[in-house]
Amino acid sequence: MADVSKSVFGPEGQLDILSGVNLQVAAGESFAIVGASGSGKTTLLGLLAGLDVPTAGSIRLDGQALESMDEEARAAVRRRLVGFVFQSFHLLPALTAEENVMLPMELEGDDTARERAHAALDAVGLGARRRHYPAQLSGGEQQRVALARAFVHRPRILFADEPTGNLDQHTGEHVGDLLFEMNRQHATTLILVTHDARLAARCARSAELHEGRLGVPA
Amino acid sequence: MNVLRLALRTLRREWHLVELRTLAASLVLAVIALGVVATLSTRIERGILASAAELIGGDLGVSAPAPLPDAMLRSAQADGLTATRGAAFRSVAFVGEHSQLLDVLATDGVYPLRGTLEVRGADGRDRVAHGPPRGQVFLDHRAMVGLGIRPGQTVQIGGRDLAVAAELLRQPDGGELFALAPRALMNLDDANDAGLLSVGSRARHRLLVSGPPAAVTAWRSDLEGSDLPAGAELITPEKMQERMRTAFDRASAFLRLTALLSALLAGVAIALAAARYARRKAGEVALLRALGTPRRRVAALLVTTLAALALPAAALGMAIALGLAQGAWYFARQLFDNIPTTLPLGPAFAAAAMGLAVLAGFALPPLVRLAEVPPVAVFRESMQRRVRRFDALYLVPLVTAVLLVWVQSDSAKLAGILAATLAGVAVVAALLSALLLVIARRVAPGAHPALRLGLAALARRRGLSLVQATALSLGLCALLLLAVVAPSLLEGWRRELPADTPNWFALNLQDDQREAFTTALGKMGATRTNMMPLAVGKLTAINGKPIDSIAFANDDAKDSADRQLRLSWAAELPPSNQVVEGTWAGPAPSQAEVSVDTSWRDRYQLKIGDTLSFEVGEGTLDAKVSSVRKVDWSSFRVNFFLMLDPAHADQLPHTWLTSFYLPRGRGDQLAKVSRDFGNLSLIDVDALLDRVREIVDRVGGAVRWVLGFSLLAGALVLAAALAASAQERRKEAALLRTLGATRAQLRAAAACEFALLGLVAGLTAALGALGAGLWLGNAVFRIENFVPPLWPLLGAAALAAFVVMAIGLFGTRKVVRTSPMALLREG
Repeated sequence: MADVSKSVFGPEGQLDILSGVNLQVAAGESFAIVGASGSGKTTLLGLLAGLDVPTAGSIRLDGQALESMDEEARAAVRRRLVGFVFQSFHLLPALTAEENVMLPMELEGDDTARERAHAALDAVGLGARRRHYPAQLSGGEQQRVALARAFVHRPRILFADEPTGNLDQHTGEHVGDLLFEMNRQHATTLILVTHDARLAARCARSAELHEGRLGVPA
Repeated sequence: MNVLRLALRTLRREWHLVELRTLAASLVLAVIALGVVATLSTRIERGILASAAELIGGDLGVSAPAPLPDAMLRSAQADGLTATRGAAFRSVAFVGEHSQLLDVLATDGVYPLRGTLEVRGADGRDRVAHGPPRGQVFLDHRAMVGLGIRPGQTVQIGGRDLAVAAELLRQPDGGELFALAPRALMNLDDANDAGLLSVGSRARHRLLVSGPPAAVTAWRSDLEGSDLPAGAELITPEKMQERMRTAFDRASAFLRLTALLSALLAGVAIALAAARYARRKAGEVALLRALGTPRRRVAALLVTTLAALALPAAALGMAIALGLAQGAWYFARQLFDNIPTTLPLGPAFAAAAMGLAVLAGFALPPLVRLAEVPPVAVFRESMQRRVRRFDALYLVPLVTAVLLVWVQSDSAKLAGILAATLAGVAVVAALLSALLLVIARRVAPGAHPALRLGLAALARRRGLSLVQATALSLGLCALLLLAVVAPSLLEGWRRELPADTPNWFALNLQDDQREAFTTALGKMGATRTNMMPLAVGKLTAINGKPIDSIAFANDDAKDSADRQLRLSWAAELPPSNQVVEGTWAGPAPSQAEVSVDTSWRDRYQLKIGDTLSFEVGEGTLDAKVSSVRKVDWSSFRVNFFLMLDPAHADQLPHTWLTSFYLPRGRGDQLAKVSRDFGNLSLIDVDALLDRVREIVDRVGGAVRWVLGFSLLAGALVLAAALAASAQERRKEAALLRTLGATRAQLRAAAACEFALLGLVAGLTAALGALGAGLWLGNAVFRIENFVPPLWPLLGAAALAAFVVMAIGLFGTRKVVRTSPMALLREG
């Protein structure tokens, strides 16, 4: 990411969310972005994952310049390379745990989706609960389903947005363990956004976002 | 994995979602409503048409001044049709020293093919009969009184002695609804043998057929494609008397109106359910997009899922509609006794197609827009609703609605009025609810807690409140039109034929007989007596150009120019006449003036200022066209195509035409009076009036049936729509309960919210229904001075507002009863 800025226009004129951000994360590395609420962490994550485009600057993901691609091309890059874990899990309430994990593969037309989903749920210890709907699972269990979904198609890069933000300390630690364990097993590049200092400390490297600028955490 | 399999799987997974079930239920209901109404309407229209067939005694006929060729009979029989031959003519009957001019119909033994011929035998018993056998004749009551005989005696017609076998009570009329003279029915062979049908007899020969609709249609197109014998014309159910046709037109307009409104109701419900489904899917789409699913694939999946839901739902709706229509017909067929009709399948298929079109029109725009949700919305829910790019897509439901109105109504005027009314209602409802929201924000802080919560809820869901109030207003307006306005239109139509509508006409009254005849009528108790002068003449020239030298564009104009014309005059414009061009002449213009009916203007392409020359008796008259009138031929008043000014027309040789109402059962007295005025021709229109009244009653019964289904479907659709939107409140209610709100407070808040919504919707709907009723009554159904009933309309609107509140409360009962924890877990 080189000299990236992101501005939006609101009722009070232009609002600069990110200004001149430079960042490089190596393959297989784990990197944490920390910062207070409203500091622009999620915006930065969205830009890195190709969910949004910067106002200025350039972003390369696995060597490909995202800012020159249209949305469909970026979608193809995400499909191939990227996995996500969200703070609020983003499981579809109408689908069972198994169906939630299967969904991205089904959309790809993968006929082995069900078997792979079973394996992924077994890996996060939820094989016995695959027929349960999200509302029937605890917060920790829901996030484990989300982890299974994120890793099931073996992404090269995993983006995690406050993965333990909605969980109690104990459950959060357990989910964190699972996240780093899976990351290690799959040799995935991990970029996570958090304000949990302990989770950030488990990453190889971290940086703090303050008023839209990236610096070394205090 | 292909999109269809994925869509089916999605559907199976999501089937438990309330909004998806609501969407399916709305579609099923829409197809049922459209299908039942369309199937029943088609069947009822067939019934009405069949009852018109009763009036001509067959499904189709040909009449001509000469015997119809045998080839025509054979072609009908080859097409699988049953045929009957006949001839109508005038002849004088003699019994001793009595004589009487009769309108005679000579038929074979097959007549009538449709409808019933009722006679009363010598034993005094009524029975259904066919054409009399050789040597026999049926005479109507007036003929018997005129001739002074009874059944069982003998009468001489055409020099042959015929036994009067029975009194003719009722006969299908053969296209000649006006019986100028007393009527007789005799055998065709007898008439032939007596030379009554020989060349120069002025008899009108005819061939009537009946059979399966397809065969009738085929024969008809054969006839229309071939050269008919000189002077021949088709006798069709549609080509009935102008008055009867008006009755049919109005009847089908009523049925179309009910079907159309049901369809629009369904559209409103589908739009609400689809919008809610789209909102539900927004989060999912954002996630799929973040995970890299291409936009097209998302759109294809959404559309295929919708199709996978819609097709079975439409099929189910169609099957239920056919079943219900069949069941309803089982009860409704008593309205069309003795008329067999088959269950038409076409309208149910059309209804399914229309239901799918409604679904596509109303549900696709929000779903297609959905595919445009940006992937970054996965982080920010608010962005899911910021897609503006496809705003124009919302024109699709509008266009769909207009097309639907057009296809369903088959009448530009009806479609226009309904479209304008509903658009007006939508605008007023939106404005009123916007005003309500402004007031809500102002009033809420100081209001009662329950009202405050209710008002706050309305104001918070500003967009949804606007949509809901508008949708409810449209739905209620359609329901009010169906429930209040349509029956009152029907009642207005019925009132146009009051019990004392003139039922007799007397022609040929001379100047010096006027006073004596009026006195005689008064003695019999006749009322509503009205006399008009009548001159018979011919049109000889237009603008000085002899009529023979004018090349008319249509045969109709040429034919009618050859016929005798009836001219009348009056100082004032007669009732049920409206001047649409020029000005009414008044009592004494400086030069002779004539006012023509619009059909005359069109037939001869006349303009104001043209001069028409008439030959009346020995004299001639040149009259300037000073006005064009639109005449309501359904009014049962005496009307004329051509009206002259009195100052110039008074000098023309003329007789008088009288119309009057004579209570039933006094026909004998009238027959005696008519013997004193030997030159008089009496026309009995009681039979015609009875027919029109019967049709009004039949249509009334049919509309009530169709209405019942529309109302039921409408109420169910509205309830489904409201219940679906009540889901929106679950989260909020859970939060409020968590914060300590009591069940009573929640119920009171919901009651306030729904009551306000209901009030806006009820008021707007009542205004809309009132306006549309006024407009429809006067412009489409042509009921003079029609005003929809105001109080029932307001009462129904208040009731509707109450029902909205009740349904809204019913929808929130689960929220109020469930524990807050369970609700929070549900999300």
